Amino acid sequence: MAIRDDFEVAASQVRQAVQRFALALLVVCAFAAMLIGKADTVLVENARVLALDLASPALEAIARPVAVANRTIADLREFATLREENARLREENTRLLAWQTAARRLENENDRLRELSQFREGPEASFITSRIVGDSVSAYVRGALLNVGRKAGVTSGQAVVTAEGLAGRIAEVGDNSARVLFVTDVNSRLPVQIERTRERAILAGDNSTLMRLTLVQTVQGVQRGDRIVTSGHGGSFPLGIPVGEVVQAGDGTSVKVRPFADFSRLEFVRVVDYGVTGLVGSGGPPATSLPPAGPRGR
Amino acid sequence: MRADGLLARLDHWGRLLLPGVVLLFFVLLTLAPLRVPYISDILPLLPALTVFQFSLVTPERLPGPLLLAMGVLLDLLLGGPGAPVGVSALGFVLIRAAVVNNRRYLVGVPFLFQWIGFCLLTLGYVVIVWVFTALFTWTNLDAGPALAQYLVMVVAYPLLAPLLARVRPRDPLNVPESSRGTAQPGETTS
Repeated sequence: MAIRDDFEVAASQVRQAVQRFALALLVVCAFAAMLIGKADTVLVENARVLALDLASPALEAIARPVAVANRTIADLREFATLREENARLREENTRLLAWQTAARRLENENDRLRELSQFREGPEASFITSRIVGDSVSAYVRGALLNVGRKAGVTSGQAVVTAEGLAGRIAEVGDNSARVLFVTDVNSRLPVQIERTRERAILAGDNSTLMRLTLVQTVQGVQRGDRIVTSGHGGSFPLGIPVGEVVQAGDGTSVKVRPFADFSRLEFVRVVDYGVTGLVGSGGPPATSLPPAGPRGR
Repeated sequence: MRADGLLARLDHWGRLLLPGVVLLFFVLLTLAPLRVPYISDILPLLPALTVFQFSLVTPERLPGPLLLAMGVLLDLLLGGPGAPVGVSALGFVLIRAAVVNNRRYLVGVPFLFQWIGFCLLTLGYVVIVWVFTALFTWTNLDAGPALAQYLVMVVAYPLLAPLLARVRPRDPLNVPESSRGTAQPGETTS
């Protein structure tokens, strides 16, 4: 009996010790997770991708009704301004028709000039359309989750565009999911050029709604209203995707750019498959890349 | 009805799993693309609210290791490249410990005190997340959005807390003696 009593006493002491140190143990575990995340980024990346792939179906199930609700709210809002909106659109339409004529003429002219000069065009881009199934709305990350992944031909570093302009680039890819890092994220650095002057610069996000234009050679050359487009440097982005518009410049301090893409109402985006993985993407060429003869969607 | 009938067993498991399932749901909801102003602001802090509220009511059904796993999952899903994994887990575990160790100030007291407790603990959580994220990415992160989220959450707490508090602390009919706790009959939490 004495042995058994001793054993029970020891066991209860162990249990008490574990209970007393449970908090410390958990805190140590959390710190260990953070340290592992710092030391072994590949492992964490794989864990992220796995978590994304697992959560993606659930997120998609949540996203559908949410999208319907969002659209209903937007519809209700639009009903109020239907008349003004119609008038504005009709006016805009006439203006755009004039532009369309000009664009057709220029495109023909461009084609003929290219034939004359035997200009070799860069690789042609094809698009993968995707629904946004999740937001990264944490206070420190600007991004979104897509419901397409490696199986659809998405690879890390590809450009993500909306109808208005560039939204961001692919940061992580799972089998059926991918994470977009928006151009406004604090980690985003984008090689761009100013459309008017063809001057190169780097566009840096800082988690706010505006972006900063850095490494401009002559700040005086930038004016308010200048359009900023991708420069194609770095390889994985096509040249000339519109990114944003300069809203603050000229006072010698910093140049602020407002993105064309409206991140608050994104529902569908297109991933640009440019055929080359470039310098931005990590790792070698993808094993299951699409054939380059994709439909030319421009 | 027999004590071990199907319904009773379902009831038992439902009670046991409810806090964890609600927490998992809110962790996933954090990523839902809700575009409604103010509501999408409080989403990132909803898991913290859940941890706080359930730690008040039924801490034994939200054990520390589960919080650790949920926190790591939240960080994996939410964080972009370079964001620390495990900082939410640290925050959750600390919130639970703080609530459990201060039960006498938080359980069975006027709602205002719970509100104040929530404000203090969530502020601690926001600060921890900010400090570790800033240390990890080694940038001077703008704390403005986080503070805005915090303020909206503080205002929204009285609306959300009563919903979560409807989870009863314990099965009133069939309570094992060991988990009866120190609460007196008639003591409520909200």
